[in-house]
Amino acid sequence: MPATLPESRPDFIRVENFSFHYGEKQAIFDIDMAIPEHRVTALIGPSGCGKSTLLRNMNRMNDLIEGVRHEGDIRLNGISLYDPSVEVISLRKRVGMVFQKYNPFAKSIYENVVFSLRVAGRSRKSELDETVERSLKAAALWDEVKDRLHDSAFGLSGGQQQRLCIARAIANQPEILLMDEPCAALDPLATLKIEELITKLSDDYTIVIVTHNMEQATRCSDRTAFLYMGRLIEYGDTLQVFNKPSHPETEAYITGRFS
Amino acid sequence: MPDMPKSPDPKRFEVSRATLWFDRFMGWLIRFGGIAVIVAVFGIFYFVGKEVIPLFRSAQVEAAGEVASGSAPAVLGVDEWGEMPFFYDGADKLVFVDMQSGERREETIAGLTDLKVTAHSYDAVHHRVALGLDDGRVGSFLVAYERKFDDGRDPRVEPSVTPEPWFTLKHGTGPVTAVSYGDSGAGRAIVAKRGNGDDSTVSVLRLGMKRGLIGKGKLSLLEEADITGELGSEAMMVRASQNGAMVLVASASGGIHYFLADSGGVSKRQTFAPFGSMAPKQMDFLFGGVSLVLTDREGQQEQWSLFRPSEDGERLFGKTKEFPPLAKGPVTFAASQRNRSFLTGSGRELSIRHSTSGAVRWEGAVDIDPAAATLDAKGEHFVIAAADGAARRYAIHDPHPEAGWRAFFGKVWYEGGAGPVYQWQSTGGSDDFEPKYSMVPLIFGSLKGTLYALMFSIPVALLAAVFSAAFLPLSVKRIVKPVMEIMSSLPSVVLGFLAGLWLAPILVTRVPSVMVMVVIVPLAAILLGYAWCRLPIGFRNRFAGGSEWLIVLPFLALAGWAGWSLGPVLESWFFIYKDPASGREIADFRLWWPQATGIPFEQRNSLVLGFMMGFAVIPVIFTIAEDALSNVPKSLTAAAAALGANRWQVVWTVMLPVAASGIFSALMIGFGRAVGETMIMVMATGNTPITEWNLFSGMRTLSANIAVELPEAPVGSTHYRALFLGAVVLFAMTFVMNTIAELLRQRLRERNKLV
Repeated sequence: MPATLPESRPDFIRVENFSFHYGEKQAIFDIDMAIPEHRVTALIGPSGCGKSTLLRNMNRMNDLIEGVRHEGDIRLNGISLYDPSVEVISLRKRVGMVFQKYNPFAKSIYENVVFSLRVAGRSRKSELDETVERSLKAAALWDEVKDRLHDSAFGLSGGQQQRLCIARAIANQPEILLMDEPCAALDPLATLKIEELITKLSDDYTIVIVTHNMEQATRCSDRTAFLYMGRLIEYGDTLQVFNKPSHPETEAYITGRFS
Repeated sequence: MPDMPKSPDPKRFEVSRATLWFDRFMGWLIRFGGIAVIVAVFGIFYFVGKEVIPLFRSAQVEAAGEVASGSAPAVLGVDEWGEMPFFYDGADKLVFVDMQSGERREETIAGLTDLKVTAHSYDAVHHRVALGLDDGRVGSFLVAYERKFDDGRDPRVEPSVTPEPWFTLKHGTGPVTAVSYGDSGAGRAIVAKRGNGDDSTVSVLRLGMKRGLIGKGKLSLLEEADITGELGSEAMMVRASQNGAMVLVASASGGIHYFLADSGGVSKRQTFAPFGSMAPKQMDFLFGGVSLVLTDREGQQEQWSLFRPSEDGERLFGKTKEFPPLAKGPVTFAASQRNRSFLTGSGRELSIRHSTSGAVRWEGAVDIDPAAATLDAKGEHFVIAAADGAARRYAIHDPHPEAGWRAFFGKVWYEGGAGPVYQWQSTGGSDDFEPKYSMVPLIFGSLKGTLYALMFSIPVALLAAVFSAAFLPLSVKRIVKPVMEIMSSLPSVVLGFLAGLWLAPILVTRVPSVMVMVVIVPLAAILLGYAWCRLPIGFRNRFAGGSEWLIVLPFLALAGWAGWSLGPVLESWFFIYKDPASGREIADFRLWWPQATGIPFEQRNSLVLGFMMGFAVIPVIFTIAEDALSNVPKSLTAAAAALGANRWQVVWTVMLPVAASGIFSALMIGFGRAVGETMIMVMATGNTPITEWNLFSGMRTLSANIAVELPEAPVGSTHYRALFLGAVVLFAMTFVMNTIAELLRQRLRERNKLV
């Protein structure tokens, strides 16, 4: 690890004995882990292992689903997400999210980026312009779209649309950025760009990324957690997990014996 | 060779015959179904078109035989079937000519042989020839036709002549120079002019029929009134109305004097001068006896009808129409005995005109100079005769003389009306009723009904759809949605019944309550929302996931109840009716509204309709709009939620734009439902074809009109076809609206298209 990494609180996000149920079906069994600040943490594991569920609980997106319940707790910088005094909307402003399939709104590029400001009632032109430029630059999209900010977002390529979604997610400068397989719908070249972007963004944000792609995890994450059947099997520095896995399941998975 | 490896079945690439056959069968079945649908739709168009198009055809007239009587036609008459015209020569000879065979039959009227006839006129309805003699006597004879069915042969018309009693005029001297006869069955009137020039006199004879217990009564003179003094100048033309109740005298100075002849005697009512100081050249009553057609020397033709110029004044003549002018020359005129058509013309140029629409139904030239003309009672033929006795018969085919663009869509001045109006009144109490077929009040009614229905339904349905799609927990939504769908399957006759017999009597006394509720319930909802935001987050989080409605509901119910009970209080404050008779003050909105605004308050009004139509329209709009909103991709709503948008912001910024085209469709289908709705309209609106936007009066819609009147309209009649025209108008309205809406919807969808 290079020595230039920023300051990091090691348990910025704390998952404490967390279990989660979709109705009768339990998706997560008693997970306990700490996610460090300003690092990229990858969640890997076969389909249906609960990694997306865990991620979506970090900004309580699972609240939108009927009949879910949880046990245990997730703490963000020491404060429980489930504290009765937590306003979900302000929580989501602190925790941005990028989805598997790029999903810009049917609006212009500009309006997509400033969406989070608009819904927060901030509409000073100078502030919006500034935000657009900063966010698009941070998402490495500025040079490609600066001349057509008011065109429809649907005119962009898939990779560009996903970077636009990242720009949109960071426009309000959240503390944490959750990424749910952000490259699953993209071609290799676009994937590469997003990966570079993730590495760059980790200077300012705490990133949790779900991925199916081992190489992606090795390329851009600092820490890796391997989940299997809703349980956390192994969690450690990425290099260590991939080079010297301590559990046979982890080894089986990363060497491609099951997926 | 049992050891050889089994070669693959050579038939393995073949498709089984059954599969092929079934595929072909289904292909044809589907094609047949598709074509059948198209054929059915065009079949409907064909049928409706077949019923409607004849309304816009003009009259067809064709020559149907010619005969020669050899006798000058001082009076020309014809039987009901147009088969045997008679020619009266103005003395004692009557000639009947069979149009088919040309057979001529001459009759001498016995009593007339020794007398000198100096004046005559003809009443085509009673087939009565009125006569005036040189000795000052007036009288008449009747021509009767009987249809005889001899064994196995074609029916034959058998004419007969009946003389009627003579009356001697007491006033004036000299020969009778003009005469006219009116007969209502119970009473009769004869108007006669005696002498010529300034010495001439005009008398009105009122005759009464004394009825015995058995047999015919005896005709006796009740009164002879000398009206010469009222005229001012010499009478040029005298006319008694068909029922004898009115007498009109045109004088040389251009004035037309209108007298009423009833049991109270003969009295002058009005003098009017349609052509200034010029006396009219022609003056005759139309069918119904309320309208006059007048033509001057220049050929200008006008219609004057009786109407009430002021609210409670008596009926006077006024000019209601001007017809296209005739050429200069001798004027021909014959009124139909069946409808308000008349045959008129100048010289050889004749036309058939209709008084309601003022339209010229037919125009053409004939090859003789008509000296006399008449229409048969069925209106199927007219006969003209030249001075030398040559006669022509023409067949008229004009089943819908009262129809036409002007009659359906224009303002028409009907008989008895105070001005041109749009009016629908298809049937009346008597045979001579003038039908009024304006589509405008019905179109207006349809639009008004739809507007009030949608005004109530759209806000409720859309808000409900948004609430259900974005706020309501899934478990509640699973119940609400099917319930709403069941609501849309309620038969509209049940809704109409409830509206007319249950809701209308309740609402009629509770209008102020409704007014308060309209304000108080939304206000309560807003205040509740504000109060909710002020509550601590810990308390609010306990109701996350959309279950806040459980708390909101009792408060809204309370607000509704409060509004309902506050209504009478409001009424006692503001809606005070002052009884003009006793000066008492009554708090009653029903009485207050007409007094304050001058427009009526009816029990079955647009308010009742709006509420009940809501039951029919809300489920339609709700279901489709809710589907559109629910089908907004979860990825978008999730993205918006993840960016910190609250639920309302998710709806407003993401769901509504994406679902806009679907919501628009919902509104259009709701509109279609409202505009075509029939039973609720029939039962809840009172069905008065009026044209005012008043919330507290009813309306008559095109659809309700068809439902109400079709059973009583004779097949093939103008009324029947006019109802079909109403259907075409309704179709055109919805077609135009839907086309515009579809274009708008396409644009909306284009704008908010998802990749």
